[in-house]
Amino acid sequence: MAILEIKNVSKFFGGLAANSNVSFSVEEGTIMGLIGPNGAGKTTLFNCITGYYPPSKGEVLFDGRRMNGLQPDKVCKLGMVRTWQKVRPLAKLSVVDNVMVGALARTSSLKTAREMAMEQLKVVRMEHRADFLAGGLPIGERKKLEVARALATQPKLLLLDEVMGGLNPAESEEIIGLILDIKKHGLTQMVIEHDMKAIMRISDRIVVLTSGEKLTEGTPQEVVSNQDVIDAYLGESHA
Amino acid sequence: MAVFLQSLISGVLIGGVYALIGIGLTLIFGVMRVVNFGHGDIMMVGMYLTYLLFTLMGVDPFVSVLISFPLMFLFGGFLQKVFINRVLNAVAQNQILLTIGLGLIMSNTVMLIFTSDYKILTTSYSSSTIQAGGGVSISTPLLISFLITAAITAALGWFLMKTDTGQAIRATAQDRDAAQLMGINVSRMSVIAFGLGAALAGTAGALISPTYYIFPQVGGTFTLKAFVITVLGGMGSVVGATLGGILIGVTESMSAVYISSGWKDVVVFVLFLLVLLFKPSGLMGKSRT
Amino acid sequence: MNKTILKALIGLIVLAALLAVPRYVDSPYALHMMILLFLSVSQGQSWNILGGYAGQHSVGHAAYFGVGAYTTMMLMHAKQVVPWVGVWAGMAAVVVVALIIGSICFRLRGPYFVLASIAVAEIMRLSAINLTTLTNGAEGILATEIPAFKIGETVVTEFLTKVPFYYIGLFLALLTIAVTYWVQHSKLGYYFQAIREDQDAAHSLGIHIAVYKNIGLVISAVLTSLAGSFYGIYVGFVDPPTVLGLDVSVQIMLICIIGGMGTLWGPVLGSLILVPLSEALRSNMITDLLVKIGLVSVDSKVGVFLKENLAHAHVLLYGILVVLVILFMPDGLMGFVKKLAARRHREAV
Repeated sequence: MAILEIKNVSKFFGGLAANSNVSFSVEEGTIMGLIGPNGAGKTTLFNCITGYYPPSKGEVLFDGRRMNGLQPDKVCKLGMVRTWQKVRPLAKLSVVDNVMVGALARTSSLKTAREMAMEQLKVVRMEHRADFLAGGLPIGERKKLEVARALATQPKLLLLDEVMGGLNPAESEEIIGLILDIKKHGLTQMVIEHDMKAIMRISDRIVVLTSGEKLTEGTPQEVVSNQDVIDAYLGESHA
Repeated sequence: MAVFLQSLISGVLIGGVYALIGIGLTLIFGVMRVVNFGHGDIMMVGMYLTYLLFTLMGVDPFVSVLISFPLMFLFGGFLQKVFINRVLNAVAQNQILLTIGLGLIMSNTVMLIFTSDYKILTTSYSSSTIQAGGGVSISTPLLISFLITAAITAALGWFLMKTDTGQAIRATAQDRDAAQLMGINVSRMSVIAFGLGAALAGTAGALISPTYYIFPQVGGTFTLKAFVITVLGGMGSVVGATLGGILIGVTESMSAVYISSGWKDVVVFVLFLLVLLFKPSGLMGKSRT
Repeated sequence: MNKTILKALIGLIVLAALLAVPRYVDSPYALHMMILLFLSVSQGQSWNILGGYAGQHSVGHAAYFGVGAYTTMMLMHAKQVVPWVGVWAGMAAVVVVALIIGSICFRLRGPYFVLASIAVAEIMRLSAINLTTLTNGAEGILATEIPAFKIGETVVTEFLTKVPFYYIGLFLALLTIAVTYWVQHSKLGYYFQAIREDQDAAHSLGIHIAVYKNIGLVISAVLTSLAGSFYGIYVGFVDPPTVLGLDVSVQIMLICIIGGMGTLWGPVLGSLILVPLSEALRSNMITDLLVKIGLVSVDSKVGVFLKENLAHAHVLLYGILVVLVILFMPDGLMGFVKKLAARRHREAV
């Protein structure tokens, strides 16, 4: 069953189309990869899905419900949460407090929220950092904190925006493991990533965007052998 | 009709001086992204400087601009180098608080020296008018100050567009990092921009001193008005600030005539809130995406 | 001994001492100073909830302080309404004002919010000057006769000495500290701080930004209004500059900046520094001291100048303090102390 359906979504800024006529759907329990060269409109699409921008045209259906025009907080309450390409830790709060803010979307008790937060910190293997200030963490741990905080809101669909960007190979490997772990728990994920090898390993299906439009969609094998994709990526590296 | 024309004209004339204050603020904001909450107090310092030059040395307020402009430029440069420069990368709140603090220091130091009594600078032409026909009269000092304002604005425009330093300032305002990479001395441009901003505010103070009460707390209202002007014109836009200044001048003089002079500032602030609410990028600015 | 028990014990001792003060201290001046201190703590703490925790740096809190003070004073002056009843009217008026301001200002961020908050306070001040039939305009309202609060024929409260004011002030200060403590230890506090740290991130984590900002504003405004009513009744006089001026807003904010924003004890610390300092200036204590230690002679030019002017210099002092604190300890004294403690801790380890 499709948990998320994107139907003909377009987003215009002034006269410029950041997304035009994008359609695809994400099956429950799977990982959908979203790739494309810089400026292809990946993050804009995330913003349209999670309520930061209303789509100019088209529809976003989540769990069969129309999401257009809903604010991000409502989107989160309904079970869809995103992380940020440029991490946004609540710098002056401790790590566990950061995750608690996520958990408080589901409970009003600080005690319950703390327990939920510690659980998520275990998932990302950061229990030992619980009392550190989030602003002082190294980049690898900031990325994991983003994931833990998002997980604490108990989503049905997790949208990860370049969680491996700027990480070294060992750290990326850890995140890949983490994403696959999360999948085992049945959580649906949509992942924007630049690292092609990584996205091929984790995704069940992949959507390729170029200049705001969907170029193609398919399994990782189908996508890598697609001539248009090869051109688009070679085009980027030659530019 | 005569009343309408009369208030329209005096509104435009006083608006020109407001524009000068607004341009200074917008220049500082453009180059440094710092909102200067002490701007009106800098203008107040300019007023007292003019007052001193007039009472001690008998320098005509309009002539004193020649002295106060460079002095206020140095004062602004000093403020930037010693204080503002240290918070350029701090959070916006700290910048705001710092400039509020500097404003308080200026107004209260002046109060210690001159007491909080209202001072009036009476020139031979303070209350003289020119008959423009149709029962409309134009205040001579306001007219002179408007003409000086226009000249200064034109000179500033020339400076920003045609000179190397002016272009460097505009480049810094457009993209600080890129300007730095292009070899522009960004911190020097900041000092110049703050100096210019202060000089413009000080000049505005000199220009209104023949027609306005001079007192240490006069700056507060002008700071707010300068904001209203720059927000109306779109933060960072010199042309916008000029139009914004005239718009505020006219709004003020119209509401003083048609509502009451006690409420004229309220009208301006309400207008300001409405603009913030419905068109936060300013009347002349592009809409936000 | 357990740290929490120790803290509670110290708290109880301080509280008992504060409660006992009027029994042993007769000096009206000493009581007056304490009352000013309580007032400052409650002002600072009220601002702290919105400015320190939720990160919305209002420079227009005079609006709430003044509307509270004016409402209570107008009712007392014109209709002999007992202040115990009047404060509720003040709070109700402030809630209305706050919600209007909130709906306008909270769509704005950063400097725009600050500007809007100042503009609103200025509109209030100018309105108080212009609505002469209601507010008596620039002359202000003088009302030193406080009607006694009676139930039937029994007099419940009378304000004949400073003692009742002392206890009300103490209660107000404790109330604001308690509310801050409660906010800090509840979902509300977490959400406020999340909004302060990163509004977009907070939004994505299910926080309805406008709702929580408005909750913060209303709590902060109502408490500020209480402080305003208390001030009005205690001093017996309100006029536009003293309760609605920009100075008032800056002073309220300054208490927190100096002490440390977003900390429970910051405003208390800030008050402990600001109140004695401005009082020392106002009462010419500093000049007297300089004369006493022989640095300045009374008749010298400097001496006369200081005597005449230093009393008006407390706002100048505010300005200097703001600049110094922002440049050298942007996290306030509490932040400074914490940093020192952390350094010592690190050295010990």
